[in-house]
Amino acid sequence: MRRTIRVGILYSETGPYASIGRDCRDGADMAIAEIAADAELPVVIEPIHADPAGDPRRYLEEARAMLRVSGCRHILGTITSLARKEVIPLVEKHDGLLWYICPYEGFEANENVIYTGACPNQHLIPLFDHLLPTAGRRAYLVGANYVWGWEMNRLARELIGRAGGTILGERYLPIEDGEVDRIVADIEAKRPDFILNNLVGSSSYAFLNAITALGARDPAFRPDRCPVVSCDLAECDLGQLSPGSAVGQFSTGPYFDTLRGEANRAFKARVAERHGAGRRISMFFEGAYSAVRMLAEAVATAGDDGPAEVKAALYGATFATPHGPLAIDPRTNHAALPFHLGRIMTDGGFEIVLSRPAIDADPYLTVDRTTGSRPQLRVVS
Amino acid sequence: MTIAPTFSGWHALVLHVPDEGTDRLARQLRLLGMTAEVKWAPLEGGGAQADVVLVDADQGWDGLFPWPVGGAPMPLIALLQSEAPGRIAWAIAHGARALIAKPIAASAVYPALVLAASLHAERQITATRIAKLEERIRLRPLVHGAVRALQDSRRIDEDAAYAVLRRAAMARRLTLEQIAADIVAGGVPLTEAG
Repeated sequence: MRRTIRVGILYSETGPYASIGRDCRDGADMAIAEIAADAELPVVIEPIHADPAGDPRRYLEEARAMLRVSGCRHILGTITSLARKEVIPLVEKHDGLLWYICPYEGFEANENVIYTGACPNQHLIPLFDHLLPTAGRRAYLVGANYVWGWEMNRLARELIGRAGGTILGERYLPIEDGEVDRIVADIEAKRPDFILNNLVGSSSYAFLNAITALGARDPAFRPDRCPVVSCDLAECDLGQLSPGSAVGQFSTGPYFDTLRGEANRAFKARVAERHGAGRRISMFFEGAYSAVRMLAEAVATAGDDGPAEVKAALYGATFATPHGPLAIDPRTNHAALPFHLGRIMTDGGFEIVLSRPAIDADPYLTVDRTTGSRPQLRVVS
Repeated sequence: MTIAPTFSGWHALVLHVPDEGTDRLARQLRLLGMTAEVKWAPLEGGGAQADVVLVDADQGWDGLFPWPVGGAPMPLIALLQSEAPGRIAWAIAHGARALIAKPIAASAVYPALVLAASLHAERQITATRIAKLEERIRLRPLVHGAVRALQDSRRIDEDAAYAVLRRAAMARRLTLEQIAADIVAGGVPLTEAG
């Protein structure tokens, strides 16, 4: 007799960052289908889907319904930190577990959250370790006008300042705002060495398109001379850009579609069966997929879907994922994650140019940011 | 504050009966790179080993601390469940710079540490500044005395005498009060001053 557990799948499949939400949902659904087909697993997941359309209040309403009406004890979801911080108090109150798979700005380690997305010592810091010595230290910072953009740029300011660099500008845009002309004009006037892009969704797409147009007019703004680097841009975003836009620009992630290795090759073959061979898989698709599989395996081990039992089953175990073995640190509830730097290719997708093996999460950045031990980067291509 | 404060290497002392809440608190403090000790006994020997003290304000009493009321030499954070005004007043009297409500939420710990450390540092700067100003006020009669002595010996007005005193202080890299004390005590001949 297989136990059926209800799991809330809370992603915005419509709204300004819908392409990310759709990848998260597709990844989760694929894992749920695979679990259902695996008769050896004593668990079946019944998804309770909801689409808050990017509205923080609707995240709260939908999460409440999942916990109170549907009886979910686990919610996979939220993309922005704004939505996550809305939902957390509710999850705490109902003693549930929120599975958060997106890159975020750190400074959080909640007992009712499992974090499988990267925090800054797994994305921004290794990115800057590579970028500041190679691209230069005169930076322009852009970001979404909420805690992700603010905190990422605050940390970037600190890291660049300590490296002896300068910040030439720092500008913010709401997620849904595509009015990037003034920012791009300012960048054209200030001529930075690189641009850190912490915009999200449609504003990010408008910005990358505008920088591509600027590069076409002035070679000083092409990616080889003034790269735009992001920590949250993924394969699912590339289809939202103008054709040929942002080629040569960079983003980081624990997973890229082009990752080598048998685990990813097999995963891609299964995704191709389900979604067609043209589907490029993002870290959001893979992250949601892996989190659902991990949840099912932990429930199977624990014999119960209670958060305390599931967490006990998670700690100390290692889970196979398409990006490699994954373990959750009981101190932080965060996953150790590899770092990859990807460069956008002409045919879409990312070419991995730099990799670092799994890094333990340090959400509060307790390791000294100037003298902390830094493993050597490995250039892979 | 643009730089994220880090508490790596700090030692936290939690004065509270060990329970599930203090386990959670200690876990979060360690996660922040700190060492943490939980005990429920009066501090001995100044307690100066701790960089921050988190105290149970529901049960706390004055004798817990070796220092006088309000004289904590490190940031103090109150752990409080009660809404009783007397308990809040006790926390304020002891110089609590931040409050963590019980039951303790892990997410409340870092903000409280940042606030307490920041306010404690600010209070220390203010206290130093006040001490300096009080010293200057205390020594004001000496400055008046020196100005009068200069006025008399050089037959100049008060503003000019004051200017002489200031130049003398600057030339010798002393405060106005120090040079005035020297002049009044006869350590600096009036003819040489300025």
